Amino acid sequence: MKIEGAAVAGIGMVRFDKYPHRRGADLAREAGLAALHDAGITLADVDEAFVGYIQPAAMIGIKAMKELGLTGLPVTHVENASATGLVAFREAAWAVASGRAEVAMAIAFDKMTDMAKGASSRGPGRDQLDATILPAAYFALWAQRRMHDYGTRPEHFAAIAAKNWNHGALNPYSHRQPDHIVTTAEVLASRMIAEPLTAMMACPADDGAACAIVASTEWVRAHQPDRRIVRPVASALQSEAYSPGHTFMGPVVGPASMTATTARLAYEDAGFGPGDVHLALCHDAFANEELEYYELLGFCGEGEGERLLEAGDTALGGRIPFNTDGGLIARGHPGGPTGLAMVHEIVTQLRGEAGARQVVGARRALAHLVGGGSVATVNLFEAD
Amino acid sequence: MARVPIEPGYFTVPTEDGASPRLLGSRCDVCGEHFFPRRHVCARCLHEGCTDVELGPVGHLFTWTFVHVPLFAKKDRAVNAYGVGQVDLVEGPRVQALLEGAASEFSIGMEMVLDLETLRTDDDGNEIVTFRFAPVASATPSPGVEP
Repeated sequence: MKIEGAAVAGIGMVRFDKYPHRRGADLAREAGLAALHDAGITLADVDEAFVGYIQPAAMIGIKAMKELGLTGLPVTHVENASATGLVAFREAAWAVASGRAEVAMAIAFDKMTDMAKGASSRGPGRDQLDATILPAAYFALWAQRRMHDYGTRPEHFAAIAAKNWNHGALNPYSHRQPDHIVTTAEVLASRMIAEPLTAMMACPADDGAACAIVASTEWVRAHQPDRRIVRPVASALQSEAYSPGHTFMGPVVGPASMTATTARLAYEDAGFGPGDVHLALCHDAFANEELEYYELLGFCGEGEGERLLEAGDTALGGRIPFNTDGGLIARGHPGGPTGLAMVHEIVTQLRGEAGARQVVGARRALAHLVGGGSVATVNLFEAD
Repeated sequence: MARVPIEPGYFTVPTEDGASPRLLGSRCDVCGEHFFPRRHVCARCLHEGCTDVELGPVGHLFTWTFVHVPLFAKKDRAVNAYGVGQVDLVEGPRVQALLEGAASEFSIGMEMVLDLETLRTDDDGNEIVTFRFAPVASATPSPGVEP
């Protein structure tokens, strides 16, 4: 989907962490108010809102929206598992691009720590038959096959995790804030979860909220004349497409090729390719995923991901830095808000306000997520 | 007491000694594609009304891992580590399942055969079972086979 005439007017988020004593609605209020303040408006100026969460409860999104005010605006719930935040953003961008809204909000909140506790109430039957395959096991299956096909070593996955932990140390919004340089050896030595993936190669379970406000480009130019304008230019969303060998039962997400298909659609709509992108944020719930996405998102050829990593190209200061905010591994992954934290980082980077982790001269960025079920989404942004 | 599937409709539970279970799948009458689990609409050609078939018990290991987290995340069973894999059945479908054996026993491409794992015994003394794959060389009937 090509997006024309929309720009980001405001961003806000609550640092992802464990918040046992705060309600999800309180986290949403804090992120939503931060974004409204960043845009210089109140809810009275918002024409439509899309609210995302993945916790299994009805109506809590629209209730959380009332924390920001009761103006009668249309509110729609969005749920696409881990991809929820980016899909809520896509809907807000499309609401503006279509002309039906001048200003639209995408907001998401979740408490993954509550969901982890609630897992014991899993029902009988198919869910239970599927429950033997944990996300860590599923992505470890990718990792083992990768090692078999390309000679990839656990050190490669550990190097990606260490990079993202160290990126997180530069981001005040990152959940994980290591007080020392995290090394490959430290990651490898952490507790084994699913061979070859260790605990430090996995994202934490945490809570959080994030919000982005999209408005027409004219509105943003008129209201924020001194700011570099960041525009969403393309958004692609795909569900699984059948091919022989498809696995129907047990998987967490669909075939890795979904990401390649989705990226191709996004690049076509944006009119530029991976060679024009200056930073990328991807679904690194487990470190080996990032290695696959170097290739599937088109930043190198098949089987060349290890070389890209070894050259330092995907670290801050490299040719195409990945997960500059720490990624899911360090910044965190509460669920719904994750994609909007990506938008937060991209807008901060493209505005040139990322401080110690600033990608110098960044003008185009990519945000990618996969979501269980499953879906893949790739979103491209461009700054003036 | 009987062996009872954890969920009906996904695999057979053989009553003969040493017999392998089969997976309950579908075959499209138009394009011939096989699927597991059963489905009504063919995922390949969209024909409506696939035929029920039994699949397996043999396939090849496409990938595997060994998980160091309790099965069902601490519920149902005192298993602290276990194998998980994807097996390409001879008929085509790739099936994700528990594996029987230690991490050192698995290698990609090896021949695997379906058997059953007992997860727990219910209040009536029935053994609740799920399907798993085992390396062909070490495949043995799971305990609890009816006399």
